[in-house]
This record gives sequence, C-alpha cells and structure tokens, in this order.
Amino acid sequence: MKLNVNGREHEIDVEPEMPLLWALRDALDIRGPKFGCGIAQCGACTVFIDGAPVRSCSVTVGEVSGAVTTIEGLAADGRLHPVQQAWIDEQVAQCGYCQAGQIMTAVALLQAVPEPTDEDIDNAMSGNLCRCGTYPRIRAAIKRAASATAGA
Amino acid sequence: MTDRRRTFVGLAGLGLAVALISVGPGHAQDPGLDAWQGIYAVFSHPRCANCHVEDARPRWSGAHYGKTRVHGMNVQRGADGLGNPGLRCTTCHQEENAAQLHGPPGAPAWHLAPAEMAWWQKSSKEICEQVKDPARNGNRTLEEIAVHVRDDDLVGWGWAPGKGREPAPGSAEETYRLLQQWSAAGAPCPAE
Ligand code: FES
Ligand code: FES
Repeated sequence: MKLNVNGREHEIDVEPEMPLLWALRDALDIRGPKFGCGIAQCGACTVFIDGAPVRSCSVTVGEVSGAVTTIEGLAADGRLHPVQQAWIDEQVAQCGYCQAGQIMTAVALLQAVPEPTDEDIDNAMSGNLCRCGTYPRIRAAIKRAASATAGA
Repeated sequence: MTDRRRTFVGLAGLGLAVALISVGPGHAQDPGLDAWQGIYAVFSHPRCANCHVEDARPRWSGAHYGKTRVHGMNVQRGADGLGNPGLRCTTCHQEENAAQLHGPPGAPAWHLAPAEMAWWQKSSKEICEQVKDPARNGNRTLEEIAVHVRDDDLVGWGWAPGKGREPAPGSAEETYRLLQQWSAAGAPCPAE
C-alpha cells in the first residue's frame, strides 16, 4: 500500500483493511497519534487527511486517498506550529496522552475559524477527551494561538 | 394434534396476523394512502429520521440504542450541514462502516438533511406534506425524490447500516416503487 505521510511517500506491506492508526504506529513508527478507544470516541488518534481532521483509528488504509499529516508534520523549518508553541506556553499537558489529538483538532479549528469564541472551541473540541481534565488550559492555549497568529 | 399439524396451524395463524397487519388502517379506501404508509414507515424509521432533525443535533435512537439521546460529542449540524469546524461529520464517518464493533457507521458524504426536511418525531401528515413541498424538499419533483431515495449512497446506507444496527424496513428499490405508486395515485396525505 502507498501512503503519503508528512510529505513523504511510503510503501508499506499491510492489508487495506488495516486502520490507518495501526499503519502509522506499527508499520511506519509514527507514534504521535495515540490509541485511546479504537472506535472514534476519544480523538487521541486524530490526524489530517488532505488537511481535514480524521480519527485515524476509524479509517482504513485502503480508504485513504489523500496526504496524511500527523502531529510530527506540523512543525515547519525547525519551528513549532503556533498551536504547539501555545500548548507549551500554557503548559497544557498533564499525562499528555490525548494532547496530539487535541492539538490536531485545535489546528483544524483555527484554520477554519482564526478567532474562535468559547462556543466555537466547545463545538470543535468536544470529540477530544482528556482524562486529566486539561480542558481549561486547552481553551487558553487555543486563544493564545489565535492571538499569536492574528495579524501574522 | 401432531407436531407437524400444530406447526401448520401456527403458521396459518401467523399468516393471518401478518395479513391483518399489512392491511392496516385505511386499506381498500385509497391505494395512494397505502403506499404512503409504506413510505412513512421508512422515513420515520430511526435509520432515516435520526438525521432528519429540525434542530442542530442528530439523534441516537433505535432498537439497539436503549434510550434516545442526542448524538454524543456535542456534534452539531454546522453552517453547511457537514458538522462544525474541527469536528466534521467526516472526522469520524468515513465512506464505509467501520469494521470494529461499535465503530462509527459510514457512507459517502455523511451529513445531516437540511432542517426544513425534518422528520424526527413528525407526524405522518407533516412528513407527507414536507415531502411534497418544493420549498422544503430541495425543489424536487416526486419522481426526483423517488430516484434520490433509490440511488443516493447515504440514503441507501439506511438499509445496510452494518452489524448491530436495525435497518430501515424494505429496500431502496421497494421504497422507490412505493413513491411511484403514491405519486401515480395523486400523492395523498393522511389526515394526521
Ligand atoms: S483511538 Fe481513535 S478516536 Fe479514540
Ligand atoms: S493530558 Fe492526560 S489525557 Fe489529556
């Protein structure tokens, strides 16, 4: 199977029915996306396919026709993505397990809505669960990233 | 009574019961209304009505769901009917049902029907009038609606929703034919 991940073409020897998350983690050793539930209930596995957020546990490799971006592909030219930087500045992570998924969803939100309201944030982020309850810091980091990129 | 004879009597009784149920109210007075009954059974079924809602939230309801709930994860219609930014329908719903037990169902272009096409908890009369009203049916003729029901992939999912989910009654083809019969009979709507 062919897979384009973070700008690189890969040829991997897996069945087309394999969930994308498995292929990323086990075949390509890309471990940013996490396994939380395996059934699109938690968001820990979120990646982009052609720029759109997708739960990689619930899409098969055979269904992927576009370019995949994982959290490893967000930084450019040796610089963290503004959302990643905001996450550090707000010290969002607790255990960290959910955070790759949270950041991917936050990036997708900010691409569509550069200055999100609390409601926009709730509407975008409610499918990403955090067992550690970092939600207030996630909200703060999204707002910080929004103002960091405003006017940039 | 032999076992075989008992089985026969039982089956005959069942046959009579099925015949009575399928006759239903309104039979023999209007074949158009009978056809509509079949259509309404499909449109009001959870596989169809769960995403034909008036408000912003699809429902989780049906035989396998237990009590009726709004879709989890704060999922909403969004401005384009395809979900909110960051949490689109297609974030979780792909072109096919996920293979995993309790995984998300899938069909091409998963989305909510427009609010004006609401069926959720609407009466047979209300749905019937909506379906006939070009202002609320996507400006379709009845023939176009029949073809849409027969050919659309997302609509078709309702009859093949994957394991653990109760399918809509009948089939796309049968519903297509019922819509044609209903239309040919003047597309009557029930009194309630
Ligand atoms: S692991 Fe994919 S949503 Fe939970
Ligand atoms: S930081 Fe622990 S699950 Fe979110």
